[in-house]
Amino acid sequence: MDIAQLQAYGYFVLITLLVLVLYGYIYHLYSKRKDADGVDYESYSNMALKDDIEDALVSAIPDENVPLEGTKKK
Amino acid sequence: MFHWLEKHPFFFAVGVFLVIAFAGLIEILPNFAQASRPVIGTAPYSTLELTGRHIYIKNSCNACHSQLVRPFKSETDRYGHYSLSGEYAYDRPFLWGSKRTGPDLMRVGNYRTTDWHENHMKEPSAVVPSSIMPAYRWLFTNKSDIETAYAEQLTVAKNFGVPYNKPVSMKDGSSKTVKMGASVAEAKSIALEEAKVIAADMRDQDVKDAVANGQIPEIVALIAYLNSLK
Amino acid sequence: MVNRPLEYDYTVAKMFMLTTVVLGIVGMLIGVILAFELAFPGINLILGDKLAEYTNFSRLRPLHTDAVIFGFTLSGVFATWYYVGQRVLKVSMAESKLLMSVGKLHFWLYIVVVAAAVFSLFAGVTTSKEYAEFEWPIDIGVVVVWVLFGVSMFGLIGIRREKSLYISVWYYIATFLGIAMLYLFNNMEIPTMLATSPAGETGIGSWYHSVSMYSGTNDALVQWWYGHNAVAFGFTVPIVAMIYYFLPKESGQAIYSYKLSLLSFWGLMFVYLWAGGHHLLYSTVPDWMQTMASVFSVILILPSWGSAINMLLTMKGQWQQVAASPLIKFMVLASTFYMFSTLEGPIQAIKSVNAIAHFTDWIVGHVHDGVLGWVGFMIMSALFHMAPRVFKRELYSKSLMATQFWIQTLGVILYFTSMWISGITQGMMWRAHDEFGNLAYSFIDTVTVLHPYYVIRGVGGLLYLIGFLMFAYNIYKTMSSRPVEERELQNATPMGA
Repeated sequence: MDIAQLQAYGYFVLITLLVLVLYGYIYHLYSKRKDADGVDYESYSNMALKDDIEDALVSAIPDENVPLEGTKKK
Repeated sequence: MFHWLEKHPFFFAVGVFLVIAFAGLIEILPNFAQASRPVIGTAPYSTLELTGRHIYIKNSCNACHSQLVRPFKSETDRYGHYSLSGEYAYDRPFLWGSKRTGPDLMRVGNYRTTDWHENHMKEPSAVVPSSIMPAYRWLFTNKSDIETAYAEQLTVAKNFGVPYNKPVSMKDGSSKTVKMGASVAEAKSIALEEAKVIAADMRDQDVKDAVANGQIPEIVALIAYLNSLK
Repeated sequence: MVNRPLEYDYTVAKMFMLTTVVLGIVGMLIGVILAFELAFPGINLILGDKLAEYTNFSRLRPLHTDAVIFGFTLSGVFATWYYVGQRVLKVSMAESKLLMSVGKLHFWLYIVVVAAAVFSLFAGVTTSKEYAEFEWPIDIGVVVVWVLFGVSMFGLIGIRREKSLYISVWYYIATFLGIAMLYLFNNMEIPTMLATSPAGETGIGSWYHSVSMYSGTNDALVQWWYGHNAVAFGFTVPIVAMIYYFLPKESGQAIYSYKLSLLSFWGLMFVYLWAGGHHLLYSTVPDWMQTMASVFSVILILPSWGSAINMLLTMKGQWQQVAASPLIKFMVLASTFYMFSTLEGPIQAIKSVNAIAHFTDWIVGHVHDGVLGWVGFMIMSALFHMAPRVFKRELYSKSLMATQFWIQTLGVILYFTSMWISGITQGMMWRAHDEFGNLAYSFIDTVTVLHPYYVIRGVGGLLYLIGFLMFAYNIYKTMSSRPVEERELQNATPMGA
């Protein structure tokens, strides 16, 4: 198999993969509606609307001492 | 996974980078090996021509003039054979331009002469009535920077294997050797020899005197470059 | 900090607001001069024969594009980041001395690089690659400034209180990454001073000169991958970041669909980069690349319109605000122009259309309805929104704003309509053949016919510049107008008569 053919197969696989990821993402957003902390995505808008420094947070970082990478995956 | 990315800026950034780098990887890299092979008849730029090319760039001639003939009848009628990739093998940077306020210059050396350029640069509207191109009179007094062009020749010969001092084959089966000096002094004398040929066809007495005194006004180098575009 | 309540610190934002206004005036003024030079070539000699080299069209043209892209727009991006970033992450720059000094260093180095760039372009020191004209010493400066921007951005994100990143922050991150990647790859060059001659001489010629690592077709490919996407990550991505914050905030309306904004983000990121090849249709780059660029350009309508429609729908049920507030007018028109130019671009990227449009003024028109209509309007509205909040004063004059809006809108319309006609006229004349198959027009015929359109374009540009000066004056006077209370700044911006 020459390089061009390999490339062609490579592109095909990648494109298929990306399409699957995109549709997976769309399905995920609209079926789950909420993120891992149970916050509705639509309430994310409040990050802009209620953005004074004393305003309530949409979802707070739990503890400032715990490094970010320590937070739980979903 | 998606939730997780949204809350981890570092991995989010990595994800974004992968998505945007993907297209570049696929589009650009595979072409690199192929496109830079010169076609037969394409020779590297001589010292004076390269100096002229720098002047072309310095004055952003490429802001108004393209160097790319597209494969349409209307373009090949007007400018000559359509462009081939290999013809640009020694063009660093490429000068295709993005706007044709003036005509294409890809093959201007085929149909314009030294004295045409001389008159045109001095007063474009005297040669082409109602031309909107400004005059480039400072080119007749500014002196060319041969040394930088020489340094560029050395750089491309060493790093990219541009064949200076080596025979390259021409379309008619003959071969041509483009000379590059072994020292700054020799490079300058090579450029001056070329400049004398150009100046012989020019009318401006100040330019002729300058070349006779061993100086090269910018206009001479620029015309050498324009004449080389074929 | 113990005695005073914590407040957002806008010191760096204010500094960049200043350069946005100043460099905006510079870039647009040069643009207007250029426009009239094309209409009346005598203006090339406006400062006399001695200085003709520096007032010449070709010498000024890169100054215009770079002043608008790297001066006006980038300053606007930085200014809004230092404002929006703090607010949506709910963390003040006053909380970190380090970030504050990085921010200030970022600003001052930016000023140094801008000064060096202006000087070098006037002197004709350029690599000729569009929007990447700077030679290697300035490139290094650009990279340092960009790294500082990144440090400052990720630093602020690192100490944030809000766990999730607001959509605008996504776009700012993408701006940072995109430009970093593109700029580095496109500016790969070897300084010629490193060469040694066979005679052993070193450091020959000018020290700042360099030669591109790529040649010919490859150079073109890399350049337009950069050129097109510098537009993407300078003129689209960060401006979308702005509108996603400023429009909801100013109108008090939540984004119509936050999920749609997330989808559009990934769509835009993925699709945009493929489209660069549409600048090279019918050139010597491989056909498959040209076709792919065309196809992806058309697909690009989807994510672009995803964002734009999302913005317009955010105003659903609140259209009275468009009539009432000139600031909302600016933003709604900006997103309308965004829709318009993201439709126009793909049309021009279709190969058969491109055959006529390429190399003509139609392309210039397209760029300008994007930049004047979308980028310019959005950055000005961002500054209009920010000024009362950073100065704690009401906007100086609402009626001046409204007047400015109509003057500039008229300017943009004159600009793009004249360039459409001019571009299509020229494209058709270039390809016209007579009954015997000979070219119907000499090149100069296709130039002289454009004169009236060049005049109209000049007038359009001038109107836009006048509007921008009104904007600058309005912002300047805001600094000394009536002080306002914090609660007046919640949503709609307070404006004086």
